Amino acid sequence: MVLLCLSLAPYHSLLGQRSGNSTSTNLQPVSQTYAITGATIIQSPGKQLDQGTILIKDGLIVSVGSDVDIPGEAQVIKVDSMYVYAGFIDGMSHTGIPKPKAASAQQTGNRSRGQSRSDSANPPNKDAGIQPEQDVKDVLDPKDGSIGALRKLGFTAAHVVPRGKMLPGTGSIILLTGNSPDEMVFRAQSSLFSQFVTASGVYPNTIMGIMAKWRDLYRQAELARTHESSYAQKPAGMKRPAYDRVIQAFYPTINGDRPVFFKAEKALEAYRALALAEDLGFPIVLTGLQQGWDLTSKLQSANTPVFLSLDLPKAPKSSDKKKEKESDLSEIEKETMALTKRKAEAYKQSCSQAATFAQAGISFGLSSEGAKVKDIPANLRTMIKHGLSEEAALAALTTNPAQMLGVSDVMGTVEVGKLANLVISNNSYFAEKSNVRYVFVEGVMHEIEAPKPKKKSGAAPTAQAVGKWNYTVETPQGSSSGLIIIKGEDGNYSGTISNEMMGADQELSEVDVSGDELTFSFSFDNDGQTMSIQVTGTIEDTDMEGVMELGGFGEAPFEAQRTGDPE
Amino acid sequence: MFKSYISFCSMCLLLCLGWAQPETGNLLIKGGTVLTITQGVMPNTDILVQNGKIKRIGKNLRTPKGMKVIDASGMHVMPGIIDAHSHAGLSSINESTSAVTAEVWEGDVINPYDITLYRALAGGVTASHAMHGSANAIGGQCETIKHRWGVLDPKDMQMQGAPRTIKFALGENPMRVHGSGKRVLPSSRMGVEAVFRNAFSKAKEYEKEWKAYKDEQANNPAAVPPAYNLRMQTLVDVLNGDVLIHCHSYRADEILMLMNVCKDFGVEKICFQHVNEGFKVAPELAEFGAMASVFADWWAYKFEVYYSTAYNAAILTKNGVITSINSDSGELIRHLYHEAAKTQKYGGLTDNEALRLITLNPAIQLGIDDRVGSIEKDKDADIAIFKGHPLSIYSVPQTTIVDGIVRFDINNDPSDMRIYVDPEEKILPVFDEGHHHDNCMQDVWWLFEEE
Repeated sequence: MVLLCLSLAPYHSLLGQRSGNSTSTNLQPVSQTYAITGATIIQSPGKQLDQGTILIKDGLIVSVGSDVDIPGEAQVIKVDSMYVYAGFIDGMSHTGIPKPKAASAQQTGNRSRGQSRSDSANPPNKDAGIQPEQDVKDVLDPKDGSIGALRKLGFTAAHVVPRGKMLPGTGSIILLTGNSPDEMVFRAQSSLFSQFVTASGVYPNTIMGIMAKWRDLYRQAELARTHESSYAQKPAGMKRPAYDRVIQAFYPTINGDRPVFFKAEKALEAYRALALAEDLGFPIVLTGLQQGWDLTSKLQSANTPVFLSLDLPKAPKSSDKKKEKESDLSEIEKETMALTKRKAEAYKQSCSQAATFAQAGISFGLSSEGAKVKDIPANLRTMIKHGLSEEAALAALTTNPAQMLGVSDVMGTVEVGKLANLVISNNSYFAEKSNVRYVFVEGVMHEIEAPKPKKKSGAAPTAQAVGKWNYTVETPQGSSSGLIIIKGEDGNYSGTISNEMMGADQELSEVDVSGDELTFSFSFDNDGQTMSIQVTGTIEDTDMEGVMELGGFGEAPFEAQRTGDPE
Repeated sequence: MFKSYISFCSMCLLLCLGWAQPETGNLLIKGGTVLTITQGVMPNTDILVQNGKIKRIGKNLRTPKGMKVIDASGMHVMPGIIDAHSHAGLSSINESTSAVTAEVWEGDVINPYDITLYRALAGGVTASHAMHGSANAIGGQCETIKHRWGVLDPKDMQMQGAPRTIKFALGENPMRVHGSGKRVLPSSRMGVEAVFRNAFSKAKEYEKEWKAYKDEQANNPAAVPPAYNLRMQTLVDVLNGDVLIHCHSYRADEILMLMNVCKDFGVEKICFQHVNEGFKVAPELAEFGAMASVFADWWAYKFEVYYSTAYNAAILTKNGVITSINSDSGELIRHLYHEAAKTQKYGGLTDNEALRLITLNPAIQLGIDDRVGSIEKDKDADIAIFKGHPLSIYSVPQTTIVDGIVRFDINNDPSDMRIYVDPEEKILPVFDEGHHHDNCMQDVWWLFEEE
């Protein structure tokens, strides 16, 4: 019985979410015509219409202005004092692509000493992460939670690519609504996706191997394509070209019709991807860039389109050290201070990347891949705080990606004739206290529930903290692991922590869950000395990561996995 | 500040030249004791550098207007040290999944932000041979790099125009990676030889197929090309002498074996690396024209390398083998001048013979001796300035210059010279991070992990 209840619980909450978050994913709306009235309309970056009306019919914007006739069948949405923008476009992500399930014990067994090693030199393409023939629409799941999560933030279209290793497949531009993959696809096979991720244990096992494999495959494809075209002209008497799905997947790229979207977070990855594209002569788009502030002139001179990452590093904690005289500091404290300063500079550079690109006059888009979706609005605000103008931020979410993805005739602005892709927020989108209230995707309305008011002590818990957590902490003395158990409920949590070093379980105190953040403290006896430890962890699904502050001994990062409910 | 200035300069230069050429500089090094390597020692001598090249060497040279002057009086000025065996500045070292990986190339994975390169500069090292590791019998191609610390584009670290080189490996490393690790060829020393012979024979067939295709294409434009294979193509280039072999080796019998393989396949140029038993076959090496790049006094770290001597470099040198002393380590690379000096204790080499081991000889082994390795007119201005004679235990490197640009200056040497910093790095009070020794087997340890 207990089991049954548990297995039903997630299903219930899923149903609840559906009916709460959107009015119309499953039910046909009464009318396909909507009039959005009374809004401040940002038609395109820098072009604002106050007190305007937008008329939507059959998925298209049919009228925008301050004097619009509203037909009788229109469902009128009064959004006085709200802001309307063109729906955002995500430059690259795995939205709608379910994460692969963790490998089963049997699979893991096979991966060890046995077969995979003996043919590590010549693995099948699939095992080597070489699947350029894979089409993202074949792995797209319209029910995947990531679609609604991104849409809630105002994204209406996304360029999505398969998950995988070196060459996971071709990407498509999709609309973030629909009941089947085909319904969602706006443009199929619009890109070839690649990244510097190796399939471990088989060739190519290193970045160097990936580079060589790319060169090998691409040159083979060039020759095969020439062979195929001469065969098409006069096949009689000529050796038949071999059918090879991997090689053939490169032809549109060789023809210049399908750019390679190369994921490059770090500067080095960007340089390497650009070098490969230059040597082999394929069209390239860089995506997910996080450390690209020194590459602006290079990208500009090569005219390379770029999607910057929406992910940002965690803000370093401001040091609460008493302001001591420098002469009072020990050598190690001075060094720590200098390192902390450089770390803070690096954080600033990361957050200023978008502003740096804008100042260099580069039209960039943004990519949600790798970012925690719920952090995206705050990250955008951080970029703005670091010098990006709101106008440039909006362009990076709308007009620029529309241009770069070749969809600017139908997306990116609030104009007559474009797809009715809109985001409506109760305040200027980039303001601190702004909430998205409606998202229209090709005329389909998704109403977003207003967030619940915050409780006094902090945000309500949004993550499942109660449970057993296996953790590993990296201390200066090496790594050590143990078990954290969190029991109780909001406002009344308790728990224990164990560790091979401490011996007995220790009771936790000050256990609190705020949003997705778990905090607690504990102390234990260390050779007659009491050690007090403060723990802060961020929970995502069944993973948690954070730091343990070790009294006066610095910080130690830890990671934990939720393995079950407390007994 | 210094660093951002460099990147600013290089950025300006990129804009002007379309980033084809790495930055070069102009300066006058005044009044040093110049250890030319090829033309003896010149006391109280000036070196004029223009556009990254040595333009004049002489006494009391006139200082061109506005030119930066480095006062080297009381200092020793020598050619920048060259390390013929290093793994610094690389993101991958071993593509250990196959016994033959000729197609992979270290030039694809240069990491110009590796702090080891800056530390090497602080030891007067201006260029190094960034090598593939020794996991495979035929490893990947290596890349000769110049230590232009501060450049951001990995291409700007490459020594453009340096000959292509490739790493081979004999003995226990390929045997245990592939034989013990994966139960495939080679699991014995004779298996390693078989790998070479098989690979070279296949490459010859591959070359023949392509030649036949090219011949047919002359009459038949619709001729069908054979399957392209970058690995085979690279081996064809090796057989044709376009890629120099640098082979990891210890035992004399195997060294002789590889020379025989080379003879059979018409390969003339080879440089043995480590060569700890080179002293046993020095005349044979000299006769073949093979070269040797050795450690000064490092051995006994695995079974096949128990038999060695610190006299190795001297014996090889006296037998007429072009010999160099290398580091293969992020630590030794910082004091190769000490390593060279050991040959004076063990073997009594002259100053010039000892210095040649870390300058002109490694340059010859890398095929770049027309451009670096000595202080001569029209050579690249890659120069190291020492306080004290570089072979003295008391000497301290002061200034290191690459292409006429000061890349290390002991008087402007902030403690944190990293180029990119991880904004999420954990700052922990770690007291001994250890230095990395011998990266020859990096990226292969997963083979030996018990799962």
